[in-house]
Amino acid sequence: MSIKKFGPNDVILNTMKTHPSCEFLIYDGRVYYNNQPELSGAFSPQTLNIQPGHISLYEYNIDKLSGSNNFIYPYVTKDSAGAVFSTIGVTTYTNQFSYGDTITSSYPMSASISREYITTPSSSATGEFNRHFVALKNRLNFYGIRSQHYRVTSSYGDKNVQTLNLVSIPEIFFGSRIRPGTVSLKWYFTGSLIGELQDLKRNGELIQVGPAGSTGSGSVGGVILYDEGFVLLTGSWSLNGESIPMTADSTSGNSPSWIYWAAGADDGVSQASTAGGGAGSDFVSASFGFDFKGQTNVQVLTMFAHAKRGEVNYSNNPTYLKYGQNRVNVSASNIYEENPTLDVANIVSSSYTDYSASYKRQVYISRVAIYDKSMNLIGIATLSNPILKEEDQDISFKIRLDI
Amino acid sequence: MAVTNFEELNTSTDVTTTKTLLYESIPLTGTVVSGTYSDLNIKNYTHGQFQSVYDYPYLSSSANHIFDIALGYDEASPLSGSSAVQNAKKINMYNQMSQVLLGYTGSANTVRVFETDLTLDNSGTALNGWFINLSRLIGKDQIKKGTFSMVLATASFEGGAAGTYENPFSQSGSATTVTIQDVSASDTGGTNNTFGGDYGVLYNTTLASASNTAGVYPGPVYTPAVGLIFYQAGVLFLSSSAFTGAMGDGGLAAPTNFNYYRPGNYYQNLADTFTGSAISGACDALRQRIKNVSFNNTTEINSTIYFCRVPHNKYNHSANPTYLSSSQIRVKSVATDPPIAYITTIGLYNSQQELMAIAKLSEPLRKDPTNELTLRVRLDY
Repeated sequence: MSIKKFGPNDVILNTMKTHPSCEFLIYDGRVYYNNQPELSGAFSPQTLNIQPGHISLYEYNIDKLSGSNNFIYPYVTKDSAGAVFSTIGVTTYTNQFSYGDTITSSYPMSASISREYITTPSSSATGEFNRHFVALKNRLNFYGIRSQHYRVTSSYGDKNVQTLNLVSIPEIFFGSRIRPGTVSLKWYFTGSLIGELQDLKRNGELIQVGPAGSTGSGSVGGVILYDEGFVLLTGSWSLNGESIPMTADSTSGNSPSWIYWAAGADDGVSQASTAGGGAGSDFVSASFGFDFKGQTNVQVLTMFAHAKRGEVNYSNNPTYLKYGQNRVNVSASNIYEENPTLDVANIVSSSYTDYSASYKRQVYISRVAIYDKSMNLIGIATLSNPILKEEDQDISFKIRLDI
Repeated sequence: MAVTNFEELNTSTDVTTTKTLLYESIPLTGTVVSGTYSDLNIKNYTHGQFQSVYDYPYLSSSANHIFDIALGYDEASPLSGSSAVQNAKKINMYNQMSQVLLGYTGSANTVRVFETDLTLDNSGTALNGWFINLSRLIGKDQIKKGTFSMVLATASFEGGAAGTYENPFSQSGSATTVTIQDVSASDTGGTNNTFGGDYGVLYNTTLASASNTAGVYPGPVYTPAVGLIFYQAGVLFLSSSAFTGAMGDGGLAAPTNFNYYRPGNYYQNLADTFTGSAISGACDALRQRIKNVSFNNTTEINSTIYFCRVPHNKYNHSANPTYLSSSQIRVKSVATDPPIAYITTIGLYNSQQELMAIAKLSEPLRKDPTNELTLRVRLDY
């Protein structure tokens, strides 16, 4: 085995940006993610035991059903370290569990987009407020330098009193941020596109871009918080002349508008909950599309391992030597001597049958091992095919490690 | 926000480490292993040395690998012979597992053989059996000692149509299952340590409960040990004695029809299964006899705890832009009032004053000159 030290230019650490694509379809109280169908298993009506449109954190309990194919679940034992699941509050932990008690949790853990229809964001008159909106007020004002449309209070209106449509996107879908310029929100009525918002300017403004000639085209329907993963819509203009019940337990119809976009995304709105609406069209006439790309940063360690000419020309593989030779010359109680004249197998390819080509020193390199400074083996890079290394050749291996 | 004020951590008084053990209860339902998915969750390979079992048809991206099954015997086993199918592979499999898990012995560095006890003294040897390698996904850092249980069917394949594995779990209306458990093992004892880490003995507790009334393992009267379990490696060695009683555990009769040999379409007894079936076929026979498997796994979570001490006379001011309103501190109106700040975040810096981590509080903590705080920041990795 030949060991070489990496030179100053042989190890490079950089960051690779990747952009995972996310595509949601919201229809009749259900969310579909990246066109994944709803699969049923032999035990469970949902193979992953999560609703469609969700991501299962570990994808652990596949096709499980209590009683017939029981669930895997985690637990900890209460001890002096004080470790506990975050779902257990301090008071519960202190009062309801003794030392040695088992504290259980459950799988699967899942996440999906959710929508909140906010009619009273923050009322100074009654003191009533929506805590999710209030928590975002600082960030909205902070991004006001990008666009006045972000500001809670501006010439475009006061978000404290406007009806708001807040869509939350869990980080697991987009990574470190949503990529500006890739966001598209679509409003469909009976399958026909009646409105589309895009962040054309990449400054967070969601501008209605289509369809051509649609009501409100060119107007800003809301804003997106790229880093935090929130869409806040305020556009209340009618996208067509129809009437649909768009809120749970609604008693009258609503005109399709951006404040109703994504109705049915984990907000309790569905065909069943809007059945008493008595409007002209059913809730199932509405469907919504939501596309964007995320951004994840992957640190990549690139290493160049050089096999220079005149080096790395020997193998310790037993087949490197001719078969049938005595490896040991003498072996006794006080002496052990290897055979000093072992022949190396000639593996040089000949162009002719029944003819051996002249011997040349060559090896096939099949893997590169990486050691730390204490000579601990910390990684092995295996080649898809062994590479022939002749004595007069220089070969460099580029090894990449995502960390 | 620029950091202008920070406290140095004293590594001897402000930093400590701890370890938390997270467990998972893993139930494996036998029907998943033996037929729910018509064996679409069983992967056999061209090398024929083992078969992989998944929890769902393995062509699905949702499927998780749960364990591999292999079979082997030592070259000194009476089952070993040149006429046996895959004889060399079965010997190699046994020797490889024993080398890795038990190591070598004697001046000639002879590979050890499995013994169904905790003393590696060449007594109680088990020269043939199955190997079940639990995947890292479900075994995690180690299997929790004393929690492993496996229910196996011991009846002949009878009562159903010829060529089927039907009805191994009962015969003539009586249950014909045995429970295999590592009952003697615990976190404090009942195990031995060797190359493959800690291991415990698997006992047939169904038989033991009838004869070993003391419930002590190994019992004073009767010790039907049928295998070993290697906790850190996540490997189970199940001796053929689980089905035969050949290890001196008495009582069990070997099922006549242990396996249905498909190429020849006839039943095989246990010995013929080891010699006359390929590894995959013999593993199929075992899978059809697994009723349930359950165990708990363990994940070690190492943590560093930083005690961040906030003295009474510091951190009573904030650099947050919202802290000031018209150049006045927002939270006090009278000049003589004490300053008040609300702590929301703790930044951990290295010796080069580079920000390494941020800890967020679930709710802001009030800080004024009349109080001191110690914030306990725990970093898991």
